Amino acid sequence: MFYRVAQWFPVLAGLLLAAGSATAANTGNAGNGKLVYQRYCISCHGAQGNGQGEAAEYMSIKPRDYRQGTFKWRSTPSGSLPLDIDLEHTLLNGLYGTYMPTWQALDERSRLDVIAYIKTFSPRFATEKPQAAIVIPPDPGYSDQSVARGEAVYKKYNCSQCHGAGGQGDGPSAHELKDDWGNALVPYDLTKGHVKCGDKPTDIYRVFMTGLAGTPMPTFADSMSSADAWDLVHFIQSLSPGYAKNMAGAVAGQTGGVQ
Amino acid sequence: MTRNGSLRVVLQLTVFAIVMFVFISPASAIPAFARKYSLRCTACHESWPVLNDFGRNFRDNGYQLRLGKDDTVTADPGYWPVAVHITPQYLYTKATNQATDQGVKDIGSGGVADASIDLLMAGVLTQNISFLVVPTGFASDGNVHLESYWAYFSRVFKNSDWLNIRVGQHEVDLPASGHRGISLTDSYLLYSYHPAVPGGNNLSAYDMGENQQGVEFLGHDKASLTRYSVSVFSAKDSLGSQNGLSSPSVYGHFQKYFRFKDGPVSEAEIGAWGVVANYPTEFLTSGGAPIPGSGSKLQATTRYGVEANVWIGPTVAPLHLDFVYGHGSDKKELLMGADRDGTWNGAFVEAIWVPPTDLLHWGIFGRYDIIRNQNQPLSTAPSNYNDQNQWTLGARYTIAYSIRDEVALHGEISSDKVKGIGVGGLDQRVDNIMLGVDFTY
Repeated sequence: MFYRVAQWFPVLAGLLLAAGSATAANTGNAGNGKLVYQRYCISCHGAQGNGQGEAAEYMSIKPRDYRQGTFKWRSTPSGSLPLDIDLEHTLLNGLYGTYMPTWQALDERSRLDVIAYIKTFSPRFATEKPQAAIVIPPDPGYSDQSVARGEAVYKKYNCSQCHGAGGQGDGPSAHELKDDWGNALVPYDLTKGHVKCGDKPTDIYRVFMTGLAGTPMPTFADSMSSADAWDLVHFIQSLSPGYAKNMAGAVAGQTGGVQ
Repeated sequence: MTRNGSLRVVLQLTVFAIVMFVFISPASAIPAFARKYSLRCTACHESWPVLNDFGRNFRDNGYQLRLGKDDTVTADPGYWPVAVHITPQYLYTKATNQATDQGVKDIGSGGVADASIDLLMAGVLTQNISFLVVPTGFASDGNVHLESYWAYFSRVFKNSDWLNIRVGQHEVDLPASGHRGISLTDSYLLYSYHPAVPGGNNLSAYDMGENQQGVEFLGHDKASLTRYSVSVFSAKDSLGSQNGLSSPSVYGHFQKYFRFKDGPVSEAEIGAWGVVANYPTEFLTSGGAPIPGSGSKLQATTRYGVEANVWIGPTVAPLHLDFVYGHGSDKKELLMGADRDGTWNGAFVEAIWVPPTDLLHWGIFGRYDIIRNQNQPLSTAPSNYNDQNQWTLGARYTIAYSIRDEVALHGEISSDKVKGIGVGGLDQRVDNIMLGVDFTY
């Protein structure tokens, strides 16, 4: 009896593998996305997508209000809407140090569905198209010389005003910062070995060039050269041994899209 | 009614009450995690208490989200890793063909059942070391016991998810968790069944659904779509044995999940499992009672099988079908009066439907369990002796859930029919009607 039942399982496995390779459209269903949102997201981001879910009041870093169409993690230039793949990047990686978890255990269909639903909260998605992702030049490589140059860039652009001289998030303006919604913000402690929007060198580089929409972290795309930006990345990496494991992840020629 | 007859009825009802108590008490969901991470119950539970993909991955990761807020130092200071779960309920049961001094009778009774509570204590001690401690009981009999207690070491080798180690009393990694079953009146027959000799006793009390004391080795990929688990333990409740692997047993389980971007089936899973649980058949006694640790001449209770799950519709509001099949064998030395090994086949099909309604309040479920003996341990016994059929239908409506608690109405009916175990070879059946308020906070 057991063998009669068990002999069908390899056949079932084959069918499942074959079905799993089927291609599909890369757009989500907002109707199903509403259910995904209600299951996983509503407690923080709220039923109206305004970032005022039941948990929001108790959070030091407030959930994002989706209605303005502004998102911290983007591969697109400052002021642009994000690409769908940018939103999926945040779902897959979470935001370290916040309550936004990694939703890597969700199936792709659910991720695309909830992205489609989140976009319904802001009318911008109906009238605007996101710009193309920025291009990130190859990492010239981590070196002591680059770190030293990066420290000079850190001073030149007055990063210490918010992040502090040692990068610990304790600069003179640290206690005065607010986001676009008036919520107090604390500058990120760069010595933790993790960065909120990703630990890869390209993730750190990207933040300099796109800024973090809705926060006081500006874009330096118009004023900072790519060489300076890479030196600054290396300086930040030098602030904590926690980044060391990520340094090998620098891949030449990556663009602003999801890697 | 004679004294012996009264005693028999009282004993039967007592055993039934204990069985019901065991079935009802251990279901677990842990709102302490909801409070800690500001997520609703729905984030981890497909329909409480059955885990969904996210919940399974969270559990495999040692109850960590790995965003710098997991352990007792970095978590919100207001977090307290304790939750309470209880289900006040009305329960009516009817048992047919029961032996009484007035002959074979059907016995029915109903009322607000004696409820127990689970104290669910779980969390992260420090990065990659988590714990679970669950005292359960506190019913009118005053008994409390530790349902679970374990420490879990995540990523013990080269920071890989493929080797995690759990130490302590734990539930083995079953095809469908016996402690997270959605039914509150019936357990999975496949997990607890043993063949029997008419009027005889079993030395093996092995129940796959019961937590065991030992070590589990568990590994998984990033999203827990490929998983393995191996538990090495000393089987509980064996005469003449004690802890320290005097009833050495091993359980293994492998699962592979598949996801589909198109079509009505969004996800599927197949897996295989097996266990060998050894029990002493000889032991020294003192005043007739077995002396712990003196057991010898181990004999095996063996179970192995396959499983398949299918999720139809979106995974967030699916029709989830679960099929589990198993083959069991108990050595004749474990079955008093047996003249050969007892072998049997069993299976269950469970369906859980989460209707795609606003806020996912509903969970509707049903299950059919079947046991068929292959070789009766007593060759002269009827071939269908102790065969079983059980079905369960139920619905659960969550009145309210938040990041701090959940309260739901839970109703179900179930029926379990056993062939030939009554007086004169009559079949016996136990029917249940249950309506409860299930809440956890």
